[in-house]
Amino acid sequence: MTAAVPAPLDAAASGGAPAPRSARAPIGEYVFAAASAALGAYTVIGAGFIRVPPGSASVLGPRVFPYAVGVLLLVASLAVIVQIARGHRGVPDEGEDVDPDAPTDWLAVAKLVAFFLSQLVLIDLAGWPIAVTVLFAGAAWSLGAKRWWIAVLVGLGLGLVTQLVFGAWLGLSLPAGPLLNWIPIFNG
Amino acid sequence: MDSLNALLEGFATALQPQYLLYALFGVFIGTAVGVLPGIGPAMTVALLLPLTYTLDPTGALIVFAGIYYGGMYGGSTTSILLNTPGESSSIATALEGNRMAKAGRGAAALATAAIGSFVAGTIATVALTFLAPGIAKLAVQLGPADYFALIVVAFLTVGALLGSSVPRGLVSLGLGLVLGLVGTEVLSGQQRYTFGIPSLADGIDVVLIAVGLFAMGEALYVASRLRHGVVRVIPVTRGRHNWLTRRDWARSWRPWLRGTVIGFPIGTIPAGGADVATFLSYATERNLARGEAKAEFGRGAIEGVAGPEAANNAAAAGVLVPLLTLGLPTTATAAIIISAFQTYGIRPGPQLFETQSGLVWALIASLYIGNVMLLVLNLPLVGMWVKVLRIPRPYLYAGILAFAGLGAYALHFNVFDTLTLLVIGVVGFLMRRYGYPVAPMVVGGILGPMAEEQLRKAMAISQGNLLYLVHSPFAIIAYSTLALIIGLGIWLKRRKARLEATPTLVPTGAIAAVDQREHEAS
Repeated sequence: MTAAVPAPLDAAASGGAPAPRSARAPIGEYVFAAASAALGAYTVIGAGFIRVPPGSASVLGPRVFPYAVGVLLLVASLAVIVQIARGHRGVPDEGEDVDPDAPTDWLAVAKLVAFFLSQLVLIDLAGWPIAVTVLFAGAAWSLGAKRWWIAVLVGLGLGLVTQLVFGAWLGLSLPAGPLLNWIPIFNG
Repeated sequence: MDSLNALLEGFATALQPQYLLYALFGVFIGTAVGVLPGIGPAMTVALLLPLTYTLDPTGALIVFAGIYYGGMYGGSTTSILLNTPGESSSIATALEGNRMAKAGRGAAALATAAIGSFVAGTIATVALTFLAPGIAKLAVQLGPADYFALIVVAFLTVGALLGSSVPRGLVSLGLGLVLGLVGTEVLSGQQRYTFGIPSLADGIDVVLIAVGLFAMGEALYVASRLRHGVVRVIPVTRGRHNWLTRRDWARSWRPWLRGTVIGFPIGTIPAGGADVATFLSYATERNLARGEAKAEFGRGAIEGVAGPEAANNAAAAGVLVPLLTLGLPTTATAAIIISAFQTYGIRPGPQLFETQSGLVWALIASLYIGNVMLLVLNLPLVGMWVKVLRIPRPYLYAGILAFAGLGAYALHFNVFDTLTLLVIGVVGFLMRRYGYPVAPMVVGGILGPMAEEQLRKAMAISQGNLLYLVHSPFAIIAYSTLALIIGLGIWLKRRKARLEATPTLVPTGAIAAVDQREHEAS
């Protein structure tokens, strides 16, 4: 049943330059490499502003290592930029649930990031169980869960269970939130 | 027989009912999470780090030993029963195991994987037991210059060998080192790169780096290219005649032992970890196969499951040798285990066997116990793992995000950590998207501060003489070994790439496409 795999499949998967996508300029790759280079440059510049306490006895001050790290990052990023320009593209990761032919769905990523950001407000305001419900239901919906109310129920269950296990039982101080604070077991 | 006595004492600790329960819990959770598709051992350990916030150190490390071995094992179930390959270390298993399952021999494939893991895990743990104390004894005499040399070796091997190209690995390493710089500098008490934010003054917790890059980053990346539609799990037919036959045993035991011999040494050197070991074992078995077995390679040869699976687990134990004796992580999973140690203020390294000998030996004893538990637990529970495999993907990844959030928030009960986690997660996503390896970044974030400390100690001793860094024979050996390891590693990678390109082997990315084609044809 697997006598011979045709050549095109083989070439695409063994890590060479992917044929169909390389037609477009790899803007995202350049941007990421450039951002890394900028971070390296910033590290070098910022190292100059680290205060060296007067009369400190150590031979190597607090600036030296940051200088080295910044230079490493800057040089490596520039090398990657040169590589990309020469046509050596990055090979995206593979995985069990990753569809190798799917284009990047930036909208789904943005939705997930937005729902994750809701934790910043909701954990303190509404309590841990509610925050988890929103994150879980929102993430499941963003990823294409069919029935939203199941996602909400599962999320609420997960929030309450983690609150009980980690908050009440293991003693982490997760805020139960105004809605649940009156129940003694959540308040422990 | 010092180590034998110490090991017995370790067993005395680890066999206490509460620690046995911890081990069982760790093995069970580790396997369950490891079976989940898309979750490799590194992510399993990262996601379960919050458990350590409340347990005592011995209990936590026993749980982690269980999670580590269980997570390694769980991956093989996934790759045998799911139509698409899993984490890199079990892709070799997927090649043959998946075919066996399709031919109705799934139970045999799972059994040879489980028993092979047990055999290899036990032999490798014995090797660890007798090797580690000796290495630790040697390592106690190392000075700061030697340590700095070792850390440089770890940096460059992990940075240069993981990932598709050397500069990309070094960018990843550099990003991790920058994260490690943030915070109050120990020797002079100066704040670096904290922007005056009080939460950053303590530095960025390694837990955030690990969970952000592995759990968050991976979840976001999978979300960006999620395979939609029904999850196709290959059914396992139970029953006596589907189980390992006498012939299967005869064909399996040699690959198990060969896999162990290949896996353990590769695990101990920083050459890419279990990934390289499994492929080397697979290639060996394929070359050694004769007659009927040779014809079966590519369509479900049991040797191709038994060997790589054994190599995988032997390498997992091998990774613990440099981790426990030198404090050096050689894989991403090892780096996260180090961060679990650090949560308790324990620094793995040569002193560990002296200062924390009770803890270390209890940990090693629990590795033996965990191995037995895995064998007993996993064979009967296959039906349950199959159910786990069927979890709808939207809920699975939503759950991963929720647990990642828990891990971050529970660190200091401060949402600033949640925000940091998200930022690191987005970076992790972009790195996967643009083909950067994430493991060097984790290693950089954890070892960076140690490297600076040792370097500055060495410079303080030598009054700034750079030659001091290479004054000791050990450091010279370390730097020359570095060159050797990188050479060897590049050779192994070439070999692996050649293997992947061989036409009789279905490349990992193409398996799904081939299946699709078969599906349409039938």
